Amino acid sequence: MPGPHPYQLVSARSPLVWPRRGGSLSIFEIGIFVACVAIAMIGFSQNLQDIVVLTFLWAGLALAWNIAGGYAGLISFGHAAFFGIGAYTSTILFLRLGLSPWIGVWCGGLLSAGFGAGLAIICARLRGPFFILSTLAAAEVARIGALNWASLTGGPEGLSIPPVAGIANMVFASKTPYVFLMLAFLAAVYAVTKGLEASRYGYYLYSVRDDVDAASAAGVNPLAVRTAAMALSAGLTGIGGSLFAQYFLYLDPTFLISPDLSFQFALLAAVGGLGTAIGPVLGSFLITPMSELLRSYLGSQAAGLHLVIYSALLIVVMLYFPSGIVGALGRISGRGRNL
Amino acid sequence: MITLGQLVLSGIFIGSIYALMSMGLTLIFGVLRVVNFAHGEFLMLAMYGAWAITRLLGLNPYIAAIAIVPAMFLFGAIVHQIIVRPALDKPHLVVVFATMGLSIFMQNVALMIMTADLWDVPPIFDHSVAIGPFYFKAELLVGFVVTILCTLFLRWLIRSTYLGKAIRATVQDGEAAMLMGIPVQRIFLITFASGSALVGLAACMMMPLFSVFPTVGLNFVLIAFVIVVLGGMGSIEGALIGGVCIGVVQSMSSYYVAPAYGQMFYFILFLLVMIFRPNGLLGQKGAATLGIND
Repeated sequence: MPGPHPYQLVSARSPLVWPRRGGSLSIFEIGIFVACVAIAMIGFSQNLQDIVVLTFLWAGLALAWNIAGGYAGLISFGHAAFFGIGAYTSTILFLRLGLSPWIGVWCGGLLSAGFGAGLAIICARLRGPFFILSTLAAAEVARIGALNWASLTGGPEGLSIPPVAGIANMVFASKTPYVFLMLAFLAAVYAVTKGLEASRYGYYLYSVRDDVDAASAAGVNPLAVRTAAMALSAGLTGIGGSLFAQYFLYLDPTFLISPDLSFQFALLAAVGGLGTAIGPVLGSFLITPMSELLRSYLGSQAAGLHLVIYSALLIVVMLYFPSGIVGALGRISGRGRNL
Repeated sequence: MITLGQLVLSGIFIGSIYALMSMGLTLIFGVLRVVNFAHGEFLMLAMYGAWAITRLLGLNPYIAAIAIVPAMFLFGAIVHQIIVRPALDKPHLVVVFATMGLSIFMQNVALMIMTADLWDVPPIFDHSVAIGPFYFKAELLVGFVVTILCTLFLRWLIRSTYLGKAIRATVQDGEAAMLMGIPVQRIFLITFASGSALVGLAACMMMPLFSVFPTVGLNFVLIAFVIVVLGGMGSIEGALIGGVCIGVVQSMSSYYVAPAYGQMFYFILFLLVMIFRPNGLLGQKGAATLGIND
């Protein structure tokens, strides 16, 4: 049996995250929230509002990913599967049974949470790359399933939600209600994350992430903790998927359950700062508008340019600022703990 | 019976080519304990290289290997120095995200330069080869023979040369190896570059059989991950056996079941192996739960 990697012995255990604090909000966080509400109130043009909607939604989803990836140490590259399950569940319930998406969203969340828990029970004892590869494989199974189970999911053609505006349908004619909807989602996921940080359960997550053996010796059940974290993360991702479906009104399986989307959740969280509440939000606020603007201005001439910039940024951030924007800001201001 | 034999044999041949593609990944994992998520894009790059040499110089991909293999060795060395080496002493996540970033970067640069079009090379041999009652594409047989030779060569290299001894010592205990005067950093560099050279060779064997496009790596890297895990991560012979298993599963399921579900089969096979034999079919005990994460 090979010994541990030399560099893991040599290097000091440098956690990627800042020391935890209680669940209270700092002035910085309140300031960001006020700015978000102000941005939501201002009537921008349709294109800009589109970017605002996506920025809020991806921020919420990166936060949801962060509960598993940042807090519990379960790096998943399969979260697009939960996103897709949420989107399909609420849409299919609405199209087949006429169930209002306001209820369907919760069904999607619950079903995703169930799948998340199942995946965690199967895979959570695997470590490092093995867990990552298993989540990738599970998402591929979901994607191939969605593409081929045409009687339920519409197969490769996807599903369309009729664009009939109405509060009961959760379909709106203007983009402003969507801005508030996504902001509410972001605020809710943020509240869950802060609540988690402050709770006893948050300590379980940190202990299992940082040292499984010590955590089990102290009486924490790693499998239960990881399963719950994955279920929570998957459930919130599923809710995000349902909201996405209500915004786009069209479900395309090759986009919904693509590895690219899974990577995106992880990248936003990693660039912002893993295991922090504000990190994924800052990550999305920085990257989503940039990549959307680049896509809309350069899109047709330079397909892929926004992703080239995106990925180059990721490499630089990971190599030089492994604790993300939050860590970099903390290093500059010397007040990282106050963020 | 003839059909079954034909399916099994073509599965073995195509699987051996998949195995060749996975050997670099398993070698790098075995020694450096990192998963190179950009492995598929290395394959894509080398396939474009083989395609360009074939088209521009009028040669064929097998001759292109003479240039592609050293070029990929060099490319691997550069990537190691710039991206992998600085990430090695940081938490495991860093190398995962950095190679993931490299993968997206290479995919999209290829998309910008080469567009999303599919490119392929003309067939090299104009007729099939008959073995008894079975017929095969000659390109498949070439790939199979090259894979076997490559496996034997790597086995010899690791078991019987000084370099191989140094690699094995590094795998067993990196710190002790360093104290014995083995240049561990250089071993890492050579391993990463050799893994890239191997995927370059695989690309030259695959170019006559598959088209190349910017996301070609994604399709194959998932197969490579499955093979590497099946074979027990880090084992060259294991990769060969894992590759053959996948090849047979793929050729049987695309004949007896729909081809689309064939892909699903090997991902389910992969998850089953992870659940019941997380060390792979031949893998060392405890590999999957070894503290790679810590």
